Amino acid sequence: MSHEAVLHGDAHGHDDHGHHEHHDTFLTKYVFSQDHKMIAKQFLITGMVWAVLGGLMSVLFRLQLGYPDSTFPFLEDLLGKWAKGGRISPEAYYALVTTHGTVLVFFVLTAGLSGTFANFLIPLQVGARDMASPFMNMLSYWFFFAASIVMLSSMFVETGPFSGGWTAYPPLSALGDASPGSKTGMDLWIVSMALFVVSSLLGGLNYIATILNMRTKGMSMTRLPLTIWALFFTAVLGVLSFPVLFSGFILLIFDRNFGTSFYLSDIFVNGVGALPNEGGSAILYQHLFWFLGHPEVYIILLPAMGMVSEILSINSRKPIFGYMAMIGSLFAIAILAFLVWAHHMFVTGLNPFLGSVFVLLTLLIAVPSAIKVFNWLTTLWRGNIRFTPAMMFAIGFVSLFISGGLTGIWLGNSALDIHLHDTYFVIAHFHIVMGVASMFGMFAGIYHWFPKMYGKQLNNTLGYIHFWVTIAGAYLIFWPMHYEGLAGMPRRYYDFSIWESFKQFGELNKFISLVSMIVFMVQLLFLFNFFYSIFKGRKLTNQNPWNANTLEWTAPINPGHGNWVGEIPEVHRWAYDYGKDGVDFIPQTTPVGADESQH
Amino acid sequence: MSTATVETTKSWGGGKSPFNVEYGKLMMWYFLMSDAFTFGAFLISYGTIRFSTNGWPDPNEVFRSFPFAPEGVHAPLVFVSVMTFILIVSSVTMVLAVKAGQEMDKKAVVKYMIWTIIGGIAFLSCQAWEWNHLHHEGAWWGRNPFLNADGTASSTNFTNYFFTITGFHGFHVFSGVIINIIMLIMTLLDKFEQRGHYLMIEKAGLYWHFVDLVWVFVFTCFYLI
Amino acid sequence: MSHTAQHEESHGAGEVKKVTIILSVLTIIELILGFWMMDIHNVGMRLAIKGSIVILMMAKAFYIVAYFMHLKHELKNLIMTIVVPLGLFIWFIIAFLYDGNSFRNLRNTYDPYFKERATIKVEKKEEGHGEAAHEAVADTTAHASDTAAVENKH
Repeated sequence: MSHEAVLHGDAHGHDDHGHHEHHDTFLTKYVFSQDHKMIAKQFLITGMVWAVLGGLMSVLFRLQLGYPDSTFPFLEDLLGKWAKGGRISPEAYYALVTTHGTVLVFFVLTAGLSGTFANFLIPLQVGARDMASPFMNMLSYWFFFAASIVMLSSMFVETGPFSGGWTAYPPLSALGDASPGSKTGMDLWIVSMALFVVSSLLGGLNYIATILNMRTKGMSMTRLPLTIWALFFTAVLGVLSFPVLFSGFILLIFDRNFGTSFYLSDIFVNGVGALPNEGGSAILYQHLFWFLGHPEVYIILLPAMGMVSEILSINSRKPIFGYMAMIGSLFAIAILAFLVWAHHMFVTGLNPFLGSVFVLLTLLIAVPSAIKVFNWLTTLWRGNIRFTPAMMFAIGFVSLFISGGLTGIWLGNSALDIHLHDTYFVIAHFHIVMGVASMFGMFAGIYHWFPKMYGKQLNNTLGYIHFWVTIAGAYLIFWPMHYEGLAGMPRRYYDFSIWESFKQFGELNKFISLVSMIVFMVQLLFLFNFFYSIFKGRKLTNQNPWNANTLEWTAPINPGHGNWVGEIPEVHRWAYDYGKDGVDFIPQTTPVGADESQH
Repeated sequence: MSTATVETTKSWGGGKSPFNVEYGKLMMWYFLMSDAFTFGAFLISYGTIRFSTNGWPDPNEVFRSFPFAPEGVHAPLVFVSVMTFILIVSSVTMVLAVKAGQEMDKKAVVKYMIWTIIGGIAFLSCQAWEWNHLHHEGAWWGRNPFLNADGTASSTNFTNYFFTITGFHGFHVFSGVIINIIMLIMTLLDKFEQRGHYLMIEKAGLYWHFVDLVWVFVFTCFYLI
Repeated sequence: MSHTAQHEESHGAGEVKKVTIILSVLTIIELILGFWMMDIHNVGMRLAIKGSIVILMMAKAFYIVAYFMHLKHELKNLIMTIVVPLGLFIWFIIAFLYDGNSFRNLRNTYDPYFKERATIKVEKKEEGHGEAAHEAVADTTAHASDTAAVENKH
C-alpha cells in the first residue's frame, strides 16, 4: 500500500459515496448518523431546545426581579414547591440563575454554535467527503446528548439542581451540606460537565485533523474561508483548555466525596463548628476554572466572528478587508485567551502585582479585537450591500461586539473592577459582548446556511421582525443594567426592593423584565420560521442562492453523504473574489484567467 | 495574495497531509497534548498548594520502604527508582515494537509487545504494593499520618495529591496496558499484515511513551523535590 | 515501503540504545542528587539541587519526546504545532505558583491561626500512625500560643 493511500485512508474511503447511495435505515440516517451534516443538525436542534429552556429560565427569574412583590399563581402550577404561593423561592431563583448560565454558555453557545457550524462547514468548505473520523464525530454528539440528559435530570431531583452559580465555586460546590442544590444536583452537574468535556474533546480533535489533513487539492491554508480559520482556533482553544477544567472537576469530586481538602480550608459552620478540612485553597479552584473559563469566552465568540466575516463579505459584494490581518488577530486572540484568566479574580485575594500583569495582558486583547472591528467596517465601506436577514444579524453582531467590548476595557482594570465586580455592570458587559453577540453570530449563520442545510428558504419577513425586535430588545435589556451596576447593584441577589438605595431601580427592573419577555416571544417566532420552513419553506432552485464563492455552494442542493457527486472540486483561488475586474463573484473552483489582475 | 499560480506541489496546498502523517496519528498527538494539560493542571495545582502551605513532609521520610525488606530497614528512593526503570525499559521495548512494525516483522512485534505488556503490569504491581503499604501506614485520601519535615503537623493535601495524581497516572498505565493487549491480539490475528501497515502500533506507542513521560514528572515532583 | 519507514532505518537501533543509556544516566544522576540532598539542610543549597533536578527532568522529557515518540524526525511544522502550545505552560506555571506563594504570605500576615499551626512542633512518636500524629496535635494545641510567641521572637 502506498504512503499516500495510508495517509488518506479515510478520505479516499469515502470516495465511493458519491457514486452510489447507501441504503440507510431510519436509525443510521437520523439517529446514529455518521454524516457530518446530520450531526450538525443534531447539534443545532439540541442546542435550540436548550436555548428555549435556558431562555425560559431567564424569563422566570426576571419575573422575580421585575415584580418582587407580586404573585403569579401559574408559577406554582409550573414549579410546584419551588414557587409556593406563586412566588419563586430563593432556592429556585438561584437554581434558575445557575442553570441558565451553565446551559447557555456550554450547551447552547459552545455545543450548539461551534458544534453545529464546525460540523456543518468544515468538510463542506475545505472540500472533504466527511470529517477525518466520522465515528468519533458521532460519539462527540452522543456524549453531548448524554451530558444534556444528565443536566436535564438534575432539574428533577428532590433537592433541586445545582444553585451555586455557573462557575461552581467551592465551598458551595464542594460541601454537600452547603445548600440544597449542593447535594445530588451538584453531583449530576459535575457528571454532565465531564461528559461535555469528553464531547468537546472528541469534536475538537476531529476538527483540527480535518482542517489540517483533509483539504482538497489547491485549498492551501491561506485560501481557507475565515469561518474555517475561526473554527480551527476554536477547536485548538477547546482542546487545550477543557482538560484543565476537567482536572479541576476531578479534584472537586474528591473534595465532595472522599474527604479531601483541595479547595477547602478553615470553614466554620453554624451549629457544626469547624470542619476538619485544612490547607486547601478556594482560589486554586478559581484559577483552574478560569484557565478554562476565559478561553471558553473565545470558544463562544470566535465561530461567530468567522461566520460574520464571511457573511459581511458575501453580502457587501466585496473582498474581506485584511484577510491576513483577520487570521493574525484570530491567532493573537487565541494566544492571549490563555494568558488573561485571572482578570475574573481581581477581588478574590489575588496578588496585586500579579493582578497588574493580568491587567496589561487583558488590555492587550483590545488590539486584535479592534483590528477585527475595523476590518469589518472597512469591508462594509462602499460595499454594494444586500440586507438579507443574515447580513442584518452580522451587522448587529459588529454593533454588539463594539458596545460590549468597550465596557471590557473598564472591567479589565483591576482598580475599576473593585467597584464594578459582581454588579449588573458585569452582567451587561458579558451578555452583550459574549452572550447576545454570539447569539447574533449564530442567527446569522442559521439564516445564511439554512438553504444549504435543508434545501429550503427561510421566510425573510419573519427574519426581519426577528432581527429588529431582538436587537432593540438586547440593547433595551442590557443598556440600563450598566447604570444599575455603576450604582452598585450587585448581581445574583434575589430581591432588591428591600434596599433603600436600589428602590429607585424598581421601575427599571420591571421594564427590563417586560422587554425580556417580548424578546423571548420573538425567539419563538424564529423557531416557528425554522421548523415551518424545513417542511413547507420555499424550495431552493438555485444551487448558489447568495452568489457566494466558497465550496459548499458547489455541492448539490441536498448533498448526500459524501457531499459531492463525482470528484471533489479543485480550488484555484481564495474565497473572496467579489467584484474583481468587474465580475460580481468568482467561485473558488474557477481557474485563474491569464489576464486577471493581481491583488 | 497571489492567485496566479496553483502550487499543488507544496505540502500545504491541500490534497495531502502537510505533516506527512496520517490523521489518526495527528489526532493522537493532539490528544496527548490535551492530556498533557490535564496532568499539567494536576501537577501545577499540587505546586500551588505546596507554595501556599508553610510546611511539607520530606518524601524520603515517607517513601522509604521496599517489598520483603525486614522491619526497620529504610531505603528511601530505592523502590521508586526500580519503578522508574521498569517504565523506561518498557518504553524501550515499545520503541523496538514500533520499529519492528515499520519493518513488517510480525514475530518481533509480538515479542516486544509482550515485553512491553509485562513491563506495564510490573509497574502497576509495584504501584499497588506501594499504595497498599502506605494505606497500612494510615495514609489515604483525607488522612495523612506523616509530619512536615520541620516536625509540625502536615495538612492532608500531601496524601490527597499523592494518591490523586499517582492514581490518575496509574489509570493511564492501566488503560495503556489494555490498549497494548488489544494491539497484541490484533497483531496475532494478522490484522495489520492485511492492512499492510502497523500504524496502530505506532499510535499505541505514542500513548505508551506519553505515560512514561508523565511518570518522569510525577517521579520528580513527588519523590525527589 | 513507506516514506516514514525509510526515515526510520537511518535512525536505527543505535539511536534507541544511545537514548536508553542517556535516560538511565540522567535518572541515576537524579537519584544521586536526591540521596545527596538528604544530608543537606541549607535552604539555598537544597533549592539549587532541586533546580538541577528539574533541569534533568526536562532533559529526560526532551529525550523521550524527541526520540522515543519520534518527534524529532517529524516535519518541522508538526514539531512547531506541538511545541508552541506547550509554551503556554510557562505563564500557567509562573502565575499559579506566584499566586500560591502570595496566598501563603497573606495568610501568614493576616491569619494568626494559620501562622500558629506552622510553628507547633508535633512530638515524634511511633512513626506512621495516623492517630498518633493527630493526638500529638491535640496535646500541643494547649501550649500553642506560648510556642508561637517564642517562635516569633526568633
